[in-house]
Amino acid sequence: MAGAYDEKYGVNQVPVPTPAPQQAQPSVAPQAQLGGVAPAMPQTAASQQPQPYGQVPFQPFGQEGGLPAYHVHHSYIWLNTIRAVLAVLFIVMISSFSSVLAVIDEIGYSGIGMVGMILGGSGVLFLVFVGLVVLVHVLAYKRLYFTLGPNEFSLYSGIITKKRVHVPYDRVQSVDARASLIQRVFGVRNVFIDTAGGAANKAVLVPSVTKAQAEWLTAELYARKRQVLAPQPTAASASPQVAGQPIAAAVAPQQPTNVLDYGKQAWDEVGGVFAGAPVQEMVPSFEYGMTNKQLFLAGLSNNTSFVLLVLGFLAAVGQVADFAGALFPQQTDQAGQALDSLFVQAADPLVGMSIAASIVGILVVLAIVWVLSAIGSCISYGGFRARRVGDRVEVERGLLQHTRQSISIQRVQAVVVKQSVIRRLIGYCEVSLDKIDAAASDDAGQQKNSLNATGVVVHPFCKLADVPAILTGLVPEYAGIPQDRTPLAPVALRRGIIRRCLIQGGGFWLAVAVVIIQAIMNALFDPAAATTMREAQENAQLLALTNPICFVLYGIALACFVLELVSAIRWARESGFAVNRQFMKVVNGGLSREERSFPRTKIQYGYARTNPFQRLSKVATLNARTAAGIGGTTVSLWDVSEEDADAWLDWLKPRS
Amino acid sequence: MRELPSEQLDPRIKSVWRINDAIWIILCFLICFIPFAIVGSVEDESWVTVVMAIIGAFFAVLAVVCLVVLPPIRYARWRYQMSEGFLDIARGIFWRKRFVIPFIRVQNTDTRQGPLMRAFGLSSVTVATAAGEHEIPGISTAQAEQLRDHAAELARIAREDV
Repeated sequence: MAGAYDEKYGVNQVPVPTPAPQQAQPSVAPQAQLGGVAPAMPQTAASQQPQPYGQVPFQPFGQEGGLPAYHVHHSYIWLNTIRAVLAVLFIVMISSFSSVLAVIDEIGYSGIGMVGMILGGSGVLFLVFVGLVVLVHVLAYKRLYFTLGPNEFSLYSGIITKKRVHVPYDRVQSVDARASLIQRVFGVRNVFIDTAGGAANKAVLVPSVTKAQAEWLTAELYARKRQVLAPQPTAASASPQVAGQPIAAAVAPQQPTNVLDYGKQAWDEVGGVFAGAPVQEMVPSFEYGMTNKQLFLAGLSNNTSFVLLVLGFLAAVGQVADFAGALFPQQTDQAGQALDSLFVQAADPLVGMSIAASIVGILVVLAIVWVLSAIGSCISYGGFRARRVGDRVEVERGLLQHTRQSISIQRVQAVVVKQSVIRRLIGYCEVSLDKIDAAASDDAGQQKNSLNATGVVVHPFCKLADVPAILTGLVPEYAGIPQDRTPLAPVALRRGIIRRCLIQGGGFWLAVAVVIIQAIMNALFDPAAATTMREAQENAQLLALTNPICFVLYGIALACFVLELVSAIRWARESGFAVNRQFMKVVNGGLSREERSFPRTKIQYGYARTNPFQRLSKVATLNARTAAGIGGTTVSLWDVSEEDADAWLDWLKPRS
Repeated sequence: MRELPSEQLDPRIKSVWRINDAIWIILCFLICFIPFAIVGSVEDESWVTVVMAIIGAFFAVLAVVCLVVLPPIRYARWRYQMSEGFLDIARGIFWRKRFVIPFIRVQNTDTRQGPLMRAFGLSSVTVATAAGEHEIPGISTAQAEQLRDHAAELARIAREDV
């Protein structure tokens, strides 16, 4: 088994860093760590047992390599069969419906018997197909089993080509359990074991285990991981330290905190057909849910709402433009009589009414879309719970599609506090933990969940002031995050405005594009240059239509420009970074704000980058690269003064 | 700004860069030029000649920039240094970058050699971390082997310390 591991990682190679918990838990002095072991001894003793969580909810069917081998749940056969058959049936129905009708139409009712025969024949074919699918799944089921060895978890699969995957316990990065709606009805889950190893980083999928089995497997994998790491003294102290903390800090665990929690509780009570009895777990040292207010505001302020806000704003700009046109038809008259026609139309009360009505219609549609998207995200966050259990963080959510993520604290790459524009206005934020994401799994469809895109969201919507309390409870290892901030160089304001408003400025480039188009239009269709009277009139009418549109676009460009200007100024004022012995914090402000804190030990490498203009202004861009996400994440901060950048590079160097 | 790392690449890398770029430029030039040459040979049109001249001029300038101007600057700007605990790299002409790669984070090191590099007796050393890899492109093969072993050794020692 160790051989397989060595093969995978090569001999010359240094294994994926398993950061000692000492690094992730810097705030605690060594003495305190030693002291913390004593009260938590029962916990440690319990985790030393082979199966700390009572009965194994699996029946071993045989042996593999001297270990009991376990099958997954039998719903693997029939749920997958039903899914495959339904899909095929649906396609066949759709594709053959019209041709069956055509046949009936052609041979008339005398040929009903023939149609019956055809249908019967295809029915038999279909049954044969179903039989084949069942056979394949039964075979796959028979060959699909796993064992829990002394050092690694092994999954065996494959009908013809046999495949075996070994996961050493100390490499387990996160264990997620996901259930689709159908799976949920039957109380089964798919378990994903993520190791975050190598370039082809794939999560190991254990399909169709019951809810109780999934929970047991999660707990068991972590327990065994702790056990494997136990010989190292620092690793052993990690979990008891946390588990030994007073549980008083925890929110009462089973109290529903919002209305959707009742739905979630109902799910839990019914559990699904094969769910099995809930597993007695370690007591979480910290747990919380979401209140009604948080849940609904989270839904209403999701990302869609910003797009809607912008659309609504544009509609309002259009309305104001029309209104202005209606109020002052005389002022806009100077450009000539023909140009005025559109405004005359707008000034007509009937036309004005219809414009207003259409705008109201647009706003109503926007509101409906908004509410729908809000309900959607409320449901996806329904039953949200985050908790700290031993040395892992667990997050559960989803009223219909259920997801339960658990990530080992040593594998957390960064703590991210993110405020989108709207959330910023009301003083709320999203807290998430960065982890190394699996590129794709065997079941890629379920991985492509937008909510998973940014690591593990440990609180989708909380007051900024509540963040320290949440972090202290959930990830006490991150208590030493620096609170101060090294601001950007003073020149960052000028550079930021130029960069955000001109070079990357949507408003500026929109205005430039509109100016060019308008100039071309006016040159091509100049009424004065027209040869005939009729052409001049047509040109004038065309310009009368396009020029007001251009002015509306200028208005939009100006609005964008102002927003970008505000954003740039705020960015220059609020951004910055901070380092102390263990942590680095990078703040990138603006209309939205992102604060990312990570341990120094999680920085894979860092670099300072300068372009010629930055060298003139004596500033540099800091880039810290962590392994979070797929293939790594670069955390950048522009326009830090050269001295600060130098000091930062020195800070990056390993200390002797 | 801080002083640059001490080590430079092997001067022969300039020739490798030049040959490499020359091959690419010739390939691109042929792809762009041949269709017009065929058209020009079939029909005698003046605009074809103009286009051919423009393409020729463009690639001539590109060749001068890539083969004459850039390699010495690139060579001068490419510096590295292997210190006790970290690899220090400074490179880039317009966008200058200064890397600090601690050996504790290094996952593996290896040497690579393409046919062109082999002809010049050069190798490149690659140092990979969990979030991307870095290549020191042109140093003599013996030195590269030494460097790789040294990097691997430093990475190992560093790991045992943490």
